[in-house]
Amino acid sequence: MTEIRFERISKRFGDRDILDDVCVSLVSGECQLLCGANGAGKSTLLRILAGMEAPNGCDVVDAGQTRRWRRVKANLLRDVIYLHQLPYLFAGTVAYNLNYPLRGSRATRAAQVRRGLEWSGLTALADQPVHQLSGGERQRVALARAWLRGPKIMLLDEPTTNMDQGCRRRTVELLASLKETGVALVVATHDTGHFADIGDRVLRLENAVLREESSGSTPYPEKVTPITARARTA
Amino acid sequence: MGSIGDSTLQALTLLFSGDRALWEIIGISFKVSLTALAIATPIALALAFLLAFGRFPGRRLLIAVFNTLLSFPAVVVGLTFYLLLSRQGPLGDLQLLFTQPAMVIGQIALALPILVAMGHAALQSVSRRAWETARTLGASVLGAVFTLVREARFALLGAILAGFGRIIAEVGASMMLGGNILHYTRNIPTAIALETSKGEFAQGIALGIVLLLMAFLLNGLLQFLQGKGRQVA
Repeated sequence: MTEIRFERISKRFGDRDILDDVCVSLVSGECQLLCGANGAGKSTLLRILAGMEAPNGCDVVDAGQTRRWRRVKANLLRDVIYLHQLPYLFAGTVAYNLNYPLRGSRATRAAQVRRGLEWSGLTALADQPVHQLSGGERQRVALARAWLRGPKIMLLDEPTTNMDQGCRRRTVELLASLKETGVALVVATHDTGHFADIGDRVLRLENAVLREESSGSTPYPEKVTPITARARTA
Repeated sequence: MGSIGDSTLQALTLLFSGDRALWEIIGISFKVSLTALAIATPIALALAFLLAFGRFPGRRLLIAVFNTLLSFPAVVVGLTFYLLLSRQGPLGDLQLLFTQPAMVIGQIALALPILVAMGHAALQSVSRRAWETARTLGASVLGAVFTLVREARFALLGAILAGFGRIIAEVGASMMLGGNILHYTRNIPTAIALETSKGEFAQGIALGIVLLLMAFLLNGLLQFLQGKGRQVA
């Protein structure tokens, strides 16, 4: 089981504290739901965990070693995948996008692309230019592309915003499949109910502080696993 | 002086009969301008990338400087480099004045601002998410740069075409730095200026037709590329 712990995360924009002494643990096969008001700092936290945005302070504990965030930034960029609220797809076809993170011979990559297409149910759209896809299809392409990269950790920023029920269900199914393969998931969302089937815990970011929602207020308390995050219990 | 019709007829005859002197001038023009473009493009793209995605003090000032240089008159660029390259100038020892390399230098200076300004706009139009997505999917820094260039390729090609259009037709810098020497530095615009001053319009019109056709072709290509860029966005 992989566990990576981020301790004492702090981030400030100007005079405003966005994150103040926040701690998060990412455990393989666990899905954490991150909620909070608009502008609370959810995306900033995810981007720090992904190695994309430098915090003002943060220690990372990995394999028993504690190191400063900037020392592990390259590892984070390698091991963590961050999906934007509106995933960016490169100009070209669905197959081109799935091929993007792959390495190896042309035949190996083609076989992997086929696997990705089957996994995400996008085989029929393989040669479709991505600018012709719907929002839900774009999200599935982004998920399949991330899946092919074989990430240990995946951070998703509002992955089901503006999706209809069918698209949302398919997206959650794909996330469940990722979770089953041992990927540690953190999903920033306004509506934890959408992810009730896969969420193991709910974290709320408020006034720069991260708290785990008390079992009374979580929509599915029976699914909450023993605490591995050092999130403050409200 | 013959009528415009006669001169045009003579011009077309010169063009289609493969007049050696005429096509030599066209060849020199393309050689000098394409060399300048080949040197200026990578430098300009690197600068455009820094301006679009870099965060450093003076960035905004630099953008303003390049935008201002867009309207820098070619003749002033010619004068500046004439003073630098003339025998008494700081670069006089290089003995480049009235040579093709001097024309190339002048045209690089003319092309750089337009390439940087348009390249910056093209790269800035690509979402920052493209960079972050490339990096999170395992691309190296260089790989992510290539991805961004690919994403903005139609707009960047448009910038290169616009840069080419600017330098192939400029007369001021080429005249001052090249000296309009037959068989060596005489290019399309300087030849048109010379032939017109001599009252020999046929060759001037023929070369003008070449420039017009090229402008039409470049604009057509620009329209096509801009359409393609919008299509994939």
